[in-house]
Amino acid sequence: MKDDSVLFKGMRGGLKIHIKPGSDIISIKKSIKDKLSEGRHFFDGTTVNLVFTGQTLMPSEQIELIDIISTQIEIGDVDFGDRAKEQDDNLHEKSYMFTGIEEGMTRFVQGPVRSGQRIFYEGNVVVIGDVNPGGEIIAGGNIIIIGTLRGLAHAGATGNGDSVIVCFNFKPTQIRIGKIISRPPEGEDDVEPVYPEIAYVKDDILVIEPVK
Amino acid sequence: MGEVFVITSGKGGVGKTTTTANIGTALALEGKRVVLIDADIGLRNLDVVLGLENRIVYDLVDVVEGTCRLRQALVRDKRFEGLYLLPAAQTRDKNAVSPEQMQKLCDDLKEQFDFILIDSPAGIEHGFKNAVAGADRAIVVTVPEVSAVRDADRIIGMLATNDIPNPLLIINRLRIDLVKRGDMMNIEDTNEILGIDLLGVVPDDENIVISTNRGEPVTIDEDSMAGTAFRNIAKRILGEDIPLMDLDEEDTFMDKIKRLFGINKNRKN
Repeated sequence: MKDDSVLFKGMRGGLKIHIKPGSDIISIKKSIKDKLSEGRHFFDGTTVNLVFTGQTLMPSEQIELIDIISTQIEIGDVDFGDRAKEQDDNLHEKSYMFTGIEEGMTRFVQGPVRSGQRIFYEGNVVVIGDVNPGGEIIAGGNIIIIGTLRGLAHAGATGNGDSVIVCFNFKPTQIRIGKIISRPPEGEDDVEPVYPEIAYVKDDILVIEPVK
Repeated sequence: MGEVFVITSGKGGVGKTTTTANIGTALALEGKRVVLIDADIGLRNLDVVLGLENRIVYDLVDVVEGTCRLRQALVRDKRFEGLYLLPAAQTRDKNAVSPEQMQKLCDDLKEQFDFILIDSPAGIEHGFKNAVAGADRAIVVTVPEVSAVRDADRIIGMLATNDIPNPLLIINRLRIDLVKRGDMMNIEDTNEILGIDLLGVVPDDENIVISTNRGEPVTIDEDSMAGTAFRNIAKRILGEDIPLMDLDEEDTFMDKIKRLFGINKNRKN
């Protein structure tokens, strides 16, 4: 039977470990050990912050768990109890601003994204295929399109002006990064670049240039 | 066991009804038992295009409401053996039928016919959902215009969410002279956006207007380019491997002479 006394959940810069209220310490320890050995390589070489939620633990139990976890991964900050609860609530209730530019949650979308379809994700979005006119990609972080962008792409939709849009072939109806909105110049017949380009915001102006 | 095709487009006026009538006729000419369902309740046209308007006694709504038996509502075509029409009701609207009822209807018809072609109404609302409910496959009709291609794209996405993947595309009303001048989207432009299998390309042909008004599908006109295109499409549906017509080729002077004398029955396209 699958042991569900402990639930691991990824979060920014670390792991949230939810302990089902009413679980006994033995099954908690076992479950954590099992889960860690499954995902050991995932944590290789990174410092992982831990947040415990759910059942309140005795101080001695806390130390035991930390010991177990530290054999497998390098631990950064650890939160038990109230402080964690507060942060946990923040994560869910307030829509927080996704700040990952170099790393973060990413959703992969199999294209084409057709007219009327809207992909919304609070992290980064990678589209494998085209985004057709009338299709929309809204991401909290960066957007990468392995194909042609003919629709709308909005990177940094939760306010992250540092995010970028990279695309193999830019023919968008509109692109937006953070609060900046831009559309292709009118009247200019497409000079089609055959190389990938990157869009980003520089001094409040949206710039598109070849990926170097 | 028959196969149910829905013919749809999103945008209105691209030739769904004409396409349905002509593919249906061409399949019947190939000896198949075919029923055409007009799912455009309240705005029925398919009966007019087929010239069967004055033979309608019962309609689709009568069937699903149990006013008549299915057999009674089917209108047999006056010219082609094996071709039947299930007309839409004109005095009702789309809400008179539910997707479940359509599904049941299609299942019943499958037992009696080789092909069931459903002429979908324009739009993406209730009428569209009715039309696709019983369908196994879909044929998306578009014309080489940006707005029509956009709507076709939307429809392809909606078909996928209705469990009809891999629809087939018909590009209707292509004008080769405009394409050559670069004033119309060509087949490649359309394909690039939609990215689905091309079932056929129907050239713009004034014979369509004439035959549609007369209630005679253009398919029976051996000399019409559009008629040939529709016959080819029907053969492709039947699994024959027929290359796309070479629309690029202007008729030579000799072809025109031959056609004048009616000895050009076996043109290569």
